[in-house]
Amino acid sequence: MYFIQHIESITHQDSFQKENIWNELKPLAGENELISPDYKNYIPVAALRRLSTILRMGITAAKACQEKVPAEFDAISVGTALGCLTDTEKFLVTINTVSGDVLSPTAFIQSTHNTIAGQISLDLKNHAYNMTHTQNALSFEVALKDGLLCIDEGKHSVLVGAADEAIPFLERLRGSLIETTYPFTSGATFMVLSGEKGNSIASIRACNVSFSDKHTETQVEQFLEANHCSLQDVDLILEAGFDFKSKAKNHISFPEYTGFYQSASAFAVHMANDWLINHVNDSRILIVNNLELNKLGLTLISRNEVEA
Amino acid sequence: MSDLKENLKAQIIEQLNLEDLTPADIQDDAPLFGDQGLGLDSIDALEFIVLLDSNYGIKIADPSEGKEIFHSVNTLADYISKHQ
Repeated sequence: MYFIQHIESITHQDSFQKENIWNELKPLAGENELISPDYKNYIPVAALRRLSTILRMGITAAKACQEKVPAEFDAISVGTALGCLTDTEKFLVTINTVSGDVLSPTAFIQSTHNTIAGQISLDLKNHAYNMTHTQNALSFEVALKDGLLCIDEGKHSVLVGAADEAIPFLERLRGSLIETTYPFTSGATFMVLSGEKGNSIASIRACNVSFSDKHTETQVEQFLEANHCSLQDVDLILEAGFDFKSKAKNHISFPEYTGFYQSASAFAVHMANDWLINHVNDSRILIVNNLELNKLGLTLISRNEVEA
Repeated sequence: MSDLKENLKAQIIEQLNLEDLTPADIQDDAPLFGDQGLGLDSIDALEFIVLLDSNYGIKIADPSEGKEIFHSVNTLADYISKHQ
């Protein structure tokens, strides 16, 4: 069992350091912006000046998680689809426009996908296992599976998270490389997972990723069957890209709340965890991430009492 | 020389993202690195090399000279005026 000990999100919702994010959530409409905490409370000013939004979000959410659990993380697993876009764009534009022999090092250093996990480790002075996963819209699920394997190996306090940031250039890819009708948004969600229950309300029961054109509903049924339940046992489906309206007791399209960023399914875990706090009679929540064609992420979350 | 120093301060603020500072906050003779001054670090030293190259066309052949050249706005301005 993989118990969710603590979870923090920085998104376009007022979701950071909230008792229950459902008190704050509302469907995104029209113009909306990332709701940023005061990063100076978490990151030294000298370091903050050169950190882009995705790094600020990631480090802050991770540090807020570390503050809530006594043990140092013994593994850090981060998913990001497009990585540090602001720095990548800055570096590429500089290559094209600057006429000197030398290029600004900061944007280059911080343009790699693993900067987020690396900066978290540096900031926390954490020398444990540190891994970054990038698998398009399944980046979070792959990072999560790595985190679950770490717990299987005996690690006690595993930080799993995901982050992506929007830049204006993404609008130019809409309809060609990126198919979505939702606004491009930024978000970071980090959670502490452990094999020990502690004060945890909910657990990750299973996670599966699939890169195939197999029928989505069939894959969902097989996944649930492998975990000894069926759609009738699922109290809420949080989905992106596949409509389960007719099959589920409750059904929410999570991009309505997150906007579009490829690792938004991490925030769906936060939504699921806090839903179970609010709905004491509900036991199981299924996250169906079909944000991109032929990529399916399935995460089953259950109330701890059911399994204990 | 004073115009050069003012320009340098503005360029330092922009290149190093020192958002909370204005040129008036940087003293001509204050150390730029270490706890006594602006608290800049080794990545900033690399940014200075880029700044000198892109804004003044000056290449620092021997990086070990950097510690002396980048000590303060005064030393930077002195180096630029001698090598431009």
